[in-house]
Amino acid sequence: MSEKGTLFDDEFLKRLEYLNLVANHMIPGHMHGEHRAKKTTSSGIEFADYQQYVSGEDTKNVDWRTYLRLDKLIVRLFEEETDLPIYIFFDASASMGYGVPAKFDYARKVAAALCYVGLLNQDRVNLVGFADGIAQELSARRGKHQVWHAFRFLESVEAGGVTAMEKAFKGFFSSRRRRGLVVVVSDFMDEAGFAKGFDMLRYFRQDLFAVHIHSPEEVRPDLPDEVLLEDAELGTSQRVRVTPALLDAYAEQFEEHCEEVGSYCRKNGWGYVRSTTDIPFEELILQVFRQGRFLR
Amino acid sequence: MIFLGMSAGMIGVLLGGTVAAVVFLYWLKPPPQRVIVPSTMLWDRLLKEKKRNTWLDRLRWWLSLMLALTIGLSVASGIGRPEFSSLGRDVRNITVVIDNSATMATRTADGFTRWDHAVAHAGQVLRQGSAGGRFLILDTSGQAPPGEPGDRRSALEVLAGLTVSLGGEPEFPDLPEGESEIFFVSDGVMVDEAPPEATVISVFEPAHNVGITAFEVQALPSEPTRYYAFVQVKNASYVEKQITLRLSGGTEGGVRDTLTLQAGETRSRSIDLSSFGRGPVRAVVTADSDAFPADDYAYGFLPIRAQTRVALITPGSVYLENVLADVPRLSLDVMKPAQYNPQVSADVYIFDRFAPPAAPRGPALLFLPPDVAWLTRTLAVVEAPEVPDWNPAHPVLRFVALEDLRIDRAAQIAMPAEAAEVVVGNRLLPLVLVSEQSERIVRVSFALEDSNFALQPGFPIFLANTLGWLIDEQVALARAPGRIEVPLPAAAVTNLEGSDIVAWPLSDRTVFLADQPGLYTVVAEDGRRLRVAVNLASAERTSVNDSGLASDEITSATSTVMAGAEPGPSEELWIFLLLLALVLVVAEWVTYHRRLTV
Repeated sequence: MSEKGTLFDDEFLKRLEYLNLVANHMIPGHMHGEHRAKKTTSSGIEFADYQQYVSGEDTKNVDWRTYLRLDKLIVRLFEEETDLPIYIFFDASASMGYGVPAKFDYARKVAAALCYVGLLNQDRVNLVGFADGIAQELSARRGKHQVWHAFRFLESVEAGGVTAMEKAFKGFFSSRRRRGLVVVVSDFMDEAGFAKGFDMLRYFRQDLFAVHIHSPEEVRPDLPDEVLLEDAELGTSQRVRVTPALLDAYAEQFEEHCEEVGSYCRKNGWGYVRSTTDIPFEELILQVFRQGRFLR
Repeated sequence: MIFLGMSAGMIGVLLGGTVAAVVFLYWLKPPPQRVIVPSTMLWDRLLKEKKRNTWLDRLRWWLSLMLALTIGLSVASGIGRPEFSSLGRDVRNITVVIDNSATMATRTADGFTRWDHAVAHAGQVLRQGSAGGRFLILDTSGQAPPGEPGDRRSALEVLAGLTVSLGGEPEFPDLPEGESEIFFVSDGVMVDEAPPEATVISVFEPAHNVGITAFEVQALPSEPTRYYAFVQVKNASYVEKQITLRLSGGTEGGVRDTLTLQAGETRSRSIDLSSFGRGPVRAVVTADSDAFPADDYAYGFLPIRAQTRVALITPGSVYLENVLADVPRLSLDVMKPAQYNPQVSADVYIFDRFAPPAAPRGPALLFLPPDVAWLTRTLAVVEAPEVPDWNPAHPVLRFVALEDLRIDRAAQIAMPAEAAEVVVGNRLLPLVLVSEQSERIVRVSFALEDSNFALQPGFPIFLANTLGWLIDEQVALARAPGRIEVPLPAAAVTNLEGSDIVAWPLSDRTVFLADQPGLYTVVAEDGRRLRVAVNLASAERTSVNDSGLASDEITSATSTVMAGAEPGPSEELWIFLLLLALVLVVAEWVTYHRRLTV
């Protein structure tokens, strides 16, 4: 892990500027909207659409004129401007300290970049470091001037502890958080299973964008014939006789794990990108942008 | 041949050490390296299925250990050349009698000798026996140490230590009591009798051979100073042979003769050695394709010199002067006692009724010498003494008869303190006394003029014998190869080349081993010297084809072990063990490189 103050250097900032330009180019005029999304609701100012009335729905929005003409119960929908926050969760568990460069550094850079773009987009951005709970949190910020504050916060966080996403998300969103976009930057190595954490987000009706990070050494580890594998988070060890067949099986297992995370996200209409730490972080950010969920 | 053969105890130590080393090396395996991974979650999930096969992993560990042990034990066992009695053999006791008589040295058509074939057959018979059996090797010349049957390794060691014995009287040895299969490996020439229950394995193969069956260097009785070589040559081949006979001396002369002998024919030759100088005489026969070289050589010794200088100091003796003048190859210098000068140089001095004040510088024959310091004194003068006894075996009296000797007057002399031998008379009245001091002395205690000795027919022979003995002129003793005894105490033995031969000096004789024909010189501490001509010279040994056995014949009584059969599995087990080790190592190497170990 890099030392404090050196993670976000001038070179990093130049790359952020580049990303911002790319974001402007991809969504022209997005800088002018202070909203993240428009949502059709029964209340609002600007008419958006009609919708068939469903039993139990509030009758105040029923268009009675249309009913008289067509003998159908139709509800009028209005477009409502929203100010949805962005929650950037970055994994600060011990497993993120693995690899060269460390996954944690890479995750913080990704978080910083998204935070930077979000703040410049006038979004309310929350930065949350989590492990088996909320490790550190930077409350919601808006505006470009908060960038340095966010960077200092990111540099102050250290990796440690075990991963428990369910506990972290439950603890965070139980305190009446608004619905928003949850960006989770993690390796998703949760002993309890990543799905429980994601289920928790579903429970709180949050929109998720999963950024899956792993190091190249994780995909194809270079291990001796006989090895005692020690878990970085739990400290437990496992004696393994390594063979090419076992390594192949492991690689397959790893791929399955990644695919499970991705499938879960796609199934729920969530965004998902995946990268190894040897790929420049800006490429990962561009992948995020291309999915169109972060920039609207 | 035994190569790296080991006893059961050594094998046990070797195998135990191998097991200990392999297990120790397994324990020395370094602990697995610790590697920190972000999470063992995926590994746990992956290994869950494998955990069901933990017993298989353990089995594999033991299998790996067993594999290493098998390889190690196979190599160790291969080095030790183990044999297992359970490999299809009944426990049997085997006694092998191997013929190592002289004719077994006969070379066969393949370049080896009958002995080589016999050793190979004997070894094969031993190796075909069961590992749990008892084995005994005996030979016809008594070289094998007597004892009870032992293990195969000991028998093979005994077999490896046996050699062909050119001399002695070979015979079938006495067999120890007990149940045993008996094998007799022989060419059937010198030992042709074996017990009826024995399986006789023949190594006989007809061969060409010519050899000297007799050789002797001898003087004619009538002419003691003239020597002849008596040579008998035999063609023991089954075809006619042209034989070249050569006689050569130490430095001078030589005789070459060519003989044509029919198969089995024996011919004798007497060859005059007048042209030969004093020294060794060597007879050699050569013929083409001779397969038995040991009988092609014979040695003798020509004692007489070409020219012997004799100084006769006498007041006047017709007998001596006349007889000595007729002795061939003798240079006689006659002088009066007054003319005698100690500086006179001669090979032999003859003093007649005279003795110099000091001992001469060479051997001497004295007739009735007066009392001088270096001789024992005269005690009395005896009139007409009887001649009670004489020793015809002594060289000076060889072919000399003294029955008619009459003596009018003789001196009774005192016996010298040092070793002296009375050859005529007795110790009270020694008439002829011989002694071997720094120089040889023959002392006659009467004058020729006081006896009829000079008129006896044996007198010239006595003179020739005495001259020959005085200048150490004796023919060599004839002996056959083998253990030789000579009647000289504590003597040293050298061969023709002057090399020392190992001898066992005893108090009354000296014993040495002469394995090869040759001329050996035996010298006692007191200076006495004997020459021994060791020659094979035996018609029985030369007749290498005189066998009742056929070539490669096996006369089996009860045995099921056959010479020439393929060796059994126990003999070559070490090869299979090493092959097994090789196969296992290769298999392990392949599986390691293909990572098939887990």
